[in-house]
Amino acid sequence: MSNWIPLWLHKLGSPPTFYRFAGALQPWAMTLALLLGAIALYGGLVLAPADYQQGDAYRIIFIHVPSAEMSMFIYAAMGVAAFIALVWRIKLAEVVAMESAPIGAAFTFITLVTGSLWGKPMWGTWWTWDARLTSELVLLFLYLGVIGLYHAFEDRRQGARAAAFLAIIGIINVPIVHFSVNWWNTLHQGSTINVFGQSKMSWDMLWPLLTMMLATKFYYAASLFRRARTDLLAMEGGKDWVRKIAADEAKP
Amino acid sequence: MSAPQTFFTMGGYAAYVWPAYAVFFIVLIADTVAPRLRRRRVLRELRARLVRQQARQDRAGSNSIPTPPSP
Amino acid sequence: MNRPGLLTACTAMLRRDLTLAWRRRGDIAMPVLYALIVTMLFPFALGPEDTLLQRIAGGVVLVTVLLAMLLALDAMFSSDIEDGSLEQLVMAPQPLALMLGMKILAHWITTALPLIVIAPLLASMLHLPGAVIPVLLLALSLATPLLSLFGAVLVALTAGTRRSGMLLALMLLPLCVPAVIFAAGAVAAAQQGLPWLAPIIWLAAALVLAVVLAPLACAAALRIALDA
Repeated sequence: MSNWIPLWLHKLGSPPTFYRFAGALQPWAMTLALLLGAIALYGGLVLAPADYQQGDAYRIIFIHVPSAEMSMFIYAAMGVAAFIALVWRIKLAEVVAMESAPIGAAFTFITLVTGSLWGKPMWGTWWTWDARLTSELVLLFLYLGVIGLYHAFEDRRQGARAAAFLAIIGIINVPIVHFSVNWWNTLHQGSTINVFGQSKMSWDMLWPLLTMMLATKFYYAASLFRRARTDLLAMEGGKDWVRKIAADEAKP
Repeated sequence: MSAPQTFFTMGGYAAYVWPAYAVFFIVLIADTVAPRLRRRRVLRELRARLVRQQARQDRAGSNSIPTPPSP
Repeated sequence: MNRPGLLTACTAMLRRDLTLAWRRRGDIAMPVLYALIVTMLFPFALGPEDTLLQRIAGGVVLVTVLLAMLLALDAMFSSDIEDGSLEQLVMAPQPLALMLGMKILAHWITTALPLIVIAPLLASMLHLPGAVIPVLLLALSLATPLLSLFGAVLVALTAGTRRSGMLLALMLLPLCVPAVIFAAGAVAAAQQGLPWLAPIIWLAAALVLAVVLAPLACAAALRIALDA
């Protein structure tokens, strides 16, 4: 009676089932992401009052913080998928890990660019070597390394396993980098910046931020489903179910 | 200053706030479009391969030459 | 496998790699030459003022040594992959991690040791105070094995690919940031007359961990990269 969950998971792991499942969920996830994103933007850009210290520049927070959170959330998701891919050699886990990497890299890039656009008017500089910023930059390099290693192999599945191994090494590395840069900053007595020091945000500012965080989660799901579907089509090119899809989409 | 105008000038920070939002949307739109294009390309290549296979089979059938095992 | 067998295998491995490296002595000289050239270019680019050169000397020597090692890293397993001896090693009854550890040691002796030997020369070319040079050497002798070990894992991961030079640099950068920070931190602290022992101890701790874990990770990575 209770083994329908493992059975269902097992079935979901098979590419054609996942293809259909992801295809059914993807539009819903994207709609929710767009809807929540629109509400959050309206709340953040129009309804929320200007900050008494930072003026209107703080409004970058509504995309910066959700992107930063997503850059780490996606790395964690990629790490879990990579671990499953290495231990149980499930093809779907490899696809999920490898297709998460470009989305994570996109969010990390957004975090860095919006952060420096926020830093310029607030701190007077585009970039500072503070632990949080440096860790984020290192995270971007980790993502790029994973993507690069994946594409360096002729054999896709072998590349996915090698890149999954690199992703797991990276998970150990990020906290070490954060700690060491923190230590380095105290040694160099650099400009200490604490942008989140005045942390008690009013509810008017908080709810658009939380809504945006939810929207980016749904966006990740939608984008991951879309990418995984495409990747499965490319990987399973010789199989019958893919041929059927190709034949069906030929006649529009 | 009217309300829409304050919205667009962002209290003098328009040069920072709007580019940040532009980057956010451009990157995410690119992330959305790229797999769509890739999907179209993958399916097109697959169909071309199927057509070639079909043609090879037809030719082999009409000439009644033993077909080499396809890879 | 009884204990003497394992020990013989280790020494045989080490002797083989060192002999091979000695037969191509020119390759050993390349990173040293590279480090010399890079260090020589800094005074030309920044101007010959003593104070400025003194301030950057420790960091420049460290980064130069790191880049020179990166240059040689690519070749760590490449000849063994080409002639198939690495596959033999994977099949061998001896634990792969231990054998790879020996290979990493041999690679460290042939690339990093010459760099450490000329490091005082590089440092004095940039007017680093003589009192700081022992600290620099200590930091280098802890940081370079760390880089060799990290590098070996990544080289093993890219073993199945065609060309990997730039990719290797991209993957190594995040891993070597902490090592560079602590090594340069120790030198900077010594230069300012501050206690420099703490970063050295952090480096040593990282090295102990890496000596244990990196050969195991390297073996796992090699198994992934070679199994096709």
